Amino acid sequence: MKHVQLSLPKALTRFTQRGIVVVLAIATTLALAAGCKSKPSTPAKFVFANTSNYDTMDPHQAFDVGRVAVRLNLYDGLYRWHDNPPKIEPWLAESYTVSPDGLTWTFKLKQGSKFHDGSEVTADDVVYSTERIFGVGKGAASLFTRMLSPGSTKAVDKYTVQFTLSKPSAIFLSIVPEVHVVNSKLVKEHVKDGDWGAAWLSENDAGSGSYMLTKYDPAVGWTATRFADHFYGWGDKFIPEIEFRTVSEINTRVLGMINGDYHGTDGYLPQDQVKRLKETETVKVLEQESMRIFMFQLHNQRAPTSDVHVRRAISYAFDYDGFIKNILGGSAERNPVPIPNNMWGVPKDVTGYTYDLEKAKAELAMAKSKPKRSLTIGVLTGYAQTEQAATLLQNGLRQIGVESKIESFPWPVIVGNMSKPETSPDISIYWISTYYADPNNWIGEMFHSGGWGTFKSSSFYKNPKVDDLLDKALKTTNQEERAAAYADAARIVYNDAGGVWVYNTKWFGPFAKNVEGMRFSPVGEAQEIRWMYFQ
Amino acid sequence: MKQLVLAFKRLLWFIPTVVGLIVIVFIISRIIPADPVALVAGETATPAQVEVLRAKLGLDKPLPIQLLKYFQGLLQGDMGRSLYTTRAISADLLHRLPATIELTLAAMLVTIVLGIPLGVISAIRRNSWLDHVLRVITVSGLAIASFWLGIMLQLLFAMRLGALPLAGRMAGFPPDDITGMYTLDALLTGELGIFAVAASHLTLPALTLAFPALATVVRFTRAGVLDVAQSNFVLYERAMGFPAPVIVWKYVLRNALISTVTQIGLLFGILLAGTVVIETVFDWPGIGNYAVNSIIMSDYNAIMGFTIWAGVIFIVVNLAVDIVQTFIDPRETA
Amino acid sequence: MKTSLFVLRKLMEDRVAFLGLLLILGLVFCAVFAPWLATYPGDVWDLHPVNRLLPPDGQFLFGTDRMGSDIYSRILFGARITILVAVIAVGASLIIGVPIGLVAGYYHNWFSDLLMRVSDIFLAVPQVVLAIAIAQTLGPSLPNVILALSVTYWPWFTRLVYAETRSLQNEIFIESSIALGASPWRVIVYHILPNVSSPIIVRTSIGMGFTILTAATLGFLGLGAPPPTPEWGRMISESREYLPQAWWYAAAPGMAIFLVVMGFNLLGDGLRDILDPRIRRGQKDDG
Repeated sequence: MKHVQLSLPKALTRFTQRGIVVVLAIATTLALAAGCKSKPSTPAKFVFANTSNYDTMDPHQAFDVGRVAVRLNLYDGLYRWHDNPPKIEPWLAESYTVSPDGLTWTFKLKQGSKFHDGSEVTADDVVYSTERIFGVGKGAASLFTRMLSPGSTKAVDKYTVQFTLSKPSAIFLSIVPEVHVVNSKLVKEHVKDGDWGAAWLSENDAGSGSYMLTKYDPAVGWTATRFADHFYGWGDKFIPEIEFRTVSEINTRVLGMINGDYHGTDGYLPQDQVKRLKETETVKVLEQESMRIFMFQLHNQRAPTSDVHVRRAISYAFDYDGFIKNILGGSAERNPVPIPNNMWGVPKDVTGYTYDLEKAKAELAMAKSKPKRSLTIGVLTGYAQTEQAATLLQNGLRQIGVESKIESFPWPVIVGNMSKPETSPDISIYWISTYYADPNNWIGEMFHSGGWGTFKSSSFYKNPKVDDLLDKALKTTNQEERAAAYADAARIVYNDAGGVWVYNTKWFGPFAKNVEGMRFSPVGEAQEIRWMYFQ
Repeated sequence: MKQLVLAFKRLLWFIPTVVGLIVIVFIISRIIPADPVALVAGETATPAQVEVLRAKLGLDKPLPIQLLKYFQGLLQGDMGRSLYTTRAISADLLHRLPATIELTLAAMLVTIVLGIPLGVISAIRRNSWLDHVLRVITVSGLAIASFWLGIMLQLLFAMRLGALPLAGRMAGFPPDDITGMYTLDALLTGELGIFAVAASHLTLPALTLAFPALATVVRFTRAGVLDVAQSNFVLYERAMGFPAPVIVWKYVLRNALISTVTQIGLLFGILLAGTVVIETVFDWPGIGNYAVNSIIMSDYNAIMGFTIWAGVIFIVVNLAVDIVQTFIDPRETA
Repeated sequence: MKTSLFVLRKLMEDRVAFLGLLLILGLVFCAVFAPWLATYPGDVWDLHPVNRLLPPDGQFLFGTDRMGSDIYSRILFGARITILVAVIAVGASLIIGVPIGLVAGYYHNWFSDLLMRVSDIFLAVPQVVLAIAIAQTLGPSLPNVILALSVTYWPWFTRLVYAETRSLQNEIFIESSIALGASPWRVIVYHILPNVSSPIIVRTSIGMGFTILTAATLGFLGLGAPPPTPEWGRMISESREYLPQAWWYAAAPGMAIFLVVMGFNLLGDGLRDILDPRIRRGQKDDG
């Protein structure tokens, strides 16, 4: 017994000594790790910090700006949007013709364009890609089904594709860039259970784009290397490698820009952070007027917001100046109608509702259906700005005696709720960005009664006159007639106070100072890297 | 023998517990008013298109049938696919597992290496200023909101001092995949530079995660040591004139072993629950982060997958602790 | 009455536990007198975009937030929400958890086994995960947060009461009252319940702190009460976009959570020392 008692403490002392050594070792490593921060040298790689997750690499599964880099850099379409104001330019195609009835669209492909595996891009691939959009049924599929049915696209010859629409559509060309062409032979090899190769393509690359996927990790992001044989050719300045990394926290993105870890990040940061970046020596912030309308959708089918006077009262009860000048630090521009100010078809004579509580009260007095219950204001979870706008609106409404409650919904929930008039909130706050650069992307999809059920038309607005004008604008391809129709429709909706349109976004794209050549377009937001280079 | 029967009885309960867990989570995840199908279908989808997709995903069937189908798949090791990425949930979870394990192990290491000695010291120096300071710290550990602690550490060390990375697991892509734990992989491949980067990213989240668990360990150890110190056995030896430190250290060894084993379950629970929030704060691409994102996106299968994963691990660890405990410390079974 | 006086006297002696009590009283005081203590009582609703994100000074004690509201005033009103959530959620957990624990502990049959397994299922997943899932399912609102917390917290009481009841059953006074023919209901209510009340009280105090933390976590993740509710967890999450400049925006509500939870934990610790005879005995021996 005694013997054991004597030896134990010694063992323990040794044990604790070792423990201390271990702790010291860890502490030293940590200190070292903290100390040696890599210095920015001449980068070979362009690193972009992206807000959204790259949870799929499939170009036909995603149709949002958050994952646009995959589509623009790894894939090509027949046409592509560039610059601001956006122009549609031939890309894989060299030209198109349209039949007089507006139904048959024939695209001629450039010859010799190559996929990443060296095989040639042919009309068959375009047909397969179009069918695949319908087959996968996500992303842009819902947009195409409105004018095109599966099986109605055919390859006339190796370099000619023909789309036969079910009804004339002036916006068809505008959405053709979303037909991202995949290597049909390669994808077909990986089809499982008739999934159109969705499982495989969600983490692999079957494109012809400017860059070839080298690494992909849904939790991290992806890297790609330059495709030297890209059909468009390359100048002598380019970026050989790109990396898109998911960095969801604003502060990490900003700090990464300041430290030089990232060379670019999203252009819709809060103004306070933009200011911080502008003050940083190694960062420059490009400024562009984008096309992304921030608005309140008002429920036009349910009392009390079914009453035009109540809707006008709401339009007068929001402090536009306080919001744009103070909360947003003047980073946006007032946009009074459901068409972006810098889009054609916008009626320039409309100046917009102002913050005027007296007028709001007067309108409210005229209303037949008085707001007795509390109005629901739906905002997006995780999008602070929608909350801030909601609290400001709520404050204004309180002052004219209208109660409201703010409900925060994650995007999937609110999209589900907005699909039916019964479950849609009285007021919902969000943005509509540029899915394609045409007024139809905004007013057309928002205020045509045929669009009820989609998130864009959650105001459930119905006005036969507006429906007619919007239909007319889709039937003709004459730009002037279309512009006039959209402007007329916008005036009517404005007068009806069909919704509250607050501002059009400015884009403040942060880039490392030594990056040049960015091409910003509201569709794609300067994430097409092939134009850029390091100075 | 008695222990074996008891262990067996506990094992027997394992299956119904897991099944019950799955049923509960299934019900919770399916009564969501959200319509994830609408989101998957795309923002411009019409209701008719949404319905087509719903049928395709099998979400138009009655709930019991969906549940049955789920169990069927589960038996074949299939947890279903994510509604958004169409990737297999099991693959997604496996992919993120190393990140969470690395974080948890690092936190566990901090907790045990610091916690047990501090607990012992605090017990030996009972009522000294050191004990009081430690008491305040440990009580704060359990009172502080971990997400707030994380943000404050970020504010100080990452934003103000710029000494440590703000968030994330690595600047860029990881080292060659061996275990998936970056620090370990870097050491195995001898890449000290990468190790330093990975370790610097690990520091803040691991410390934040460890803090509340540390509090528990210190208190537990302290109480355990005091308990032994007051046992008649020790009083007797004290009376015999053995120096106090000798006695304490002697009993501490065994005591620390028992309490460490029993605490792993407890510790694991605290740490696992902690990862959900800590990973969100530190943008750590592990399973907790995945869970929060899936919940926010109403991705049914992913939520189910995570909960089952967490539940099974939790139950298994507790089971193991229970069984080990019955063998180490037979008194408990009485 | 006598016991509570004894407890109170003991609490006064234990300075640390008394500090906990003071912190809790402070919280209650803030909640009750918020409209008078607040420098801008209207700022739960009122917004002043011009004043946004001002640092703390004589006018705005804890600075202003992203809408230009006074953070100090909002924190005071937030105390009301904190109390409301914690009291209702822990109260509901007591009402659900204690009876189940008593019944499961008293009887030895398949039903009590089943009850314990059900509570095990809930304990099998970290509470915060289940609470997040439920809060998300029901939609973010204050009642739903309370519901989510209650539904996930009761098993802790069940397990505690169950264990205590089982260990009490071997005590002579319980065995004798059963032998005297007292009905199970009588034994449970008059003999077991009073004897398990001490650990329940201790657990309740700790549980209050724990629940406040979980509620704050839900708020932080955006699953709590909607704006403009001055909920502390939500305020911290709002602040993240404005760091590091607006440090006060994150620091003040976090500090408030910390102090309150600290209060409940210290009180719980103190109560444990006083009420739990095993530990009390230990202390005496040592002293």
